Amino acid sequence: MKRRTMNVAGEPPVRMYHVSKSYMAGQYALHDVSLEIRRGEFVFLTGSSGAGKTTLLELIFAAEEPSEGQILVLGRNVARLGASGIPALRRRVGVVFQDFKLLEDRTVEENVRLALDVIGTPRREARTRVFQMLKSVGLQHRRFHHPKSLSGGEQQRVALARALVNEPEILLADEPTGNLDPALTLEIMDLIVSASTRGTTVIVATHDHNLIDRYGKRMLRLEGGRIAEDIPAAGAASALRGANP
Amino acid sequence: MLVAIIFANAARGIRNASTTSSLAVMTIAVVLVLIGSALLLVGNMTGILDEFGNELQLTAYLEDEVAKGEKDGAAELLALAARVEAAPGVESVEIVTKTQALERFEKIAGGAELLEGLDENPLPASLEITLLPEARNAESIEILELALDGLPGIADLASGQEWIEGYERMVSLLRGAALGIGAVLGMAALLIVANTIRLAVYARRDELDILALVGASRTFVRVPFMLEGTLQGLLGGLVALLVVYGAYEMVLPQVRFGLEMLVGRADLRFFTMGESIGLVLAGAGLGLLGSLTALVGWRG
Repeated sequence: MKRRTMNVAGEPPVRMYHVSKSYMAGQYALHDVSLEIRRGEFVFLTGSSGAGKTTLLELIFAAEEPSEGQILVLGRNVARLGASGIPALRRRVGVVFQDFKLLEDRTVEENVRLALDVIGTPRREARTRVFQMLKSVGLQHRRFHHPKSLSGGEQQRVALARALVNEPEILLADEPTGNLDPALTLEIMDLIVSASTRGTTVIVATHDHNLIDRYGKRMLRLEGGRIAEDIPAAGAASALRGANP
Repeated sequence: MLVAIIFANAARGIRNASTTSSLAVMTIAVVLVLIGSALLLVGNMTGILDEFGNELQLTAYLEDEVAKGEKDGAAELLALAARVEAAPGVESVEIVTKTQALERFEKIAGGAELLEGLDENPLPASLEITLLPEARNAESIEILELALDGLPGIADLASGQEWIEGYERMVSLLRGAALGIGAVLGMAALLIVANTIRLAVYARRDELDILALVGASRTFVRVPFMLEGTLQGLLGGLVALLVVYGAYEMVLPQVRFGLEMLVGRADLRFFTMGESIGLVLAGAGLGLLGSLTALVGWRG
């Protein structure tokens, strides 16, 4: 039987208790971080370079293990997942990166289909779902193209489609608009926000204060591996305005 | 469905990385040509030595009393032959009477002249003892000699002990050398193949990372590489078999001629069907093992 802990409604999909991550003795990428992110919540993660944003995301999708503390993602203790538990978790967590991470030798459709292939979705069903997904990001007409022939914004939309095609419960985005111009940035952000309105819990790491300001979602600011500020939705924009007049 | 996807990924891997793939195939082929040639050489050499072994005989020279009159002594001679045949390690016994011995001697150039002027046939009757294959060694022959020593009627035993010891040393040396060369070549093969496939894995680490990112299980990621390695190994094994066969056919006439000149025989053979399949499967095994070794350390 497939072992899958059901995430009881209301139980926060991401919980951290005094989590620290250290790559070298005495130097912390994250230090004593405790937080809870609620189901369907949209959270901006901000802070200067090296503040610990990427590390925090990597801990959530089990690319790294915490040095100290406990992390519960979708009810599972990340440190105790084991070799088979990690893939199972990642099928429920979509991830988007600044550099898209698309396979150049595969078409747009094949890139998106990867997330369905790994769970053995029948080819016909997978193609239908991929088509629907590409349609929702406006790229259905480009499905037989290769990533190199697409613009940066289009490539990020493909990456987003791959992250969402499996209907993940959590979407993590690490500087998803870092390589994009302002118009494309808004296009991508609108797609991410719409995923959140469908119930997906979203965490977006970004430098871009304009975005945080524009969307007014909950904001966690990291500084030196610690949470310096945790400003709830709606309050985030005004807090930023106060901090950056 | 998952199995079909895994196979499709393996096929795609070979297609996309055709340069590294053919490099792996050629590496396996070269290594197996070396191993295959060494095995063929050793196999044929031990074959020739075995042929010599088949001719290994002990001769028991009989006292004249036993064989005197030949017709009178026939019953006694047969009884003795039967007892010898029952001794440990004996396959068969052939009786050579005094008359037969004389006839043989006369056939040898100058033999007849030497015997001229002799009234009586001086040659003894003998029993020519053929040994069982497993008894064609110094130790078994010594045991047989002890058993025959006490039998009445036997005057002397000629075993060619030194020759047998030399033969034994030759065979064990050859087998040892074959094992040693095989082990060294096998290790070298594994290292080279593993490194070649490791390069192929390294070239596709982005793909491995992305697969891991979207939740591919270790099996989903590894099996295509293992299939690829196995297929490359099979191809390499086939190429090696063809090359060794071609080389064998090319050098056969010269080697046969040389051997006939040297040792008077040249019963050479290529691999049997089973051995040929074994060589190709060894390639597949090398490829599989190589890809497994190459994936060690990939965390996913």
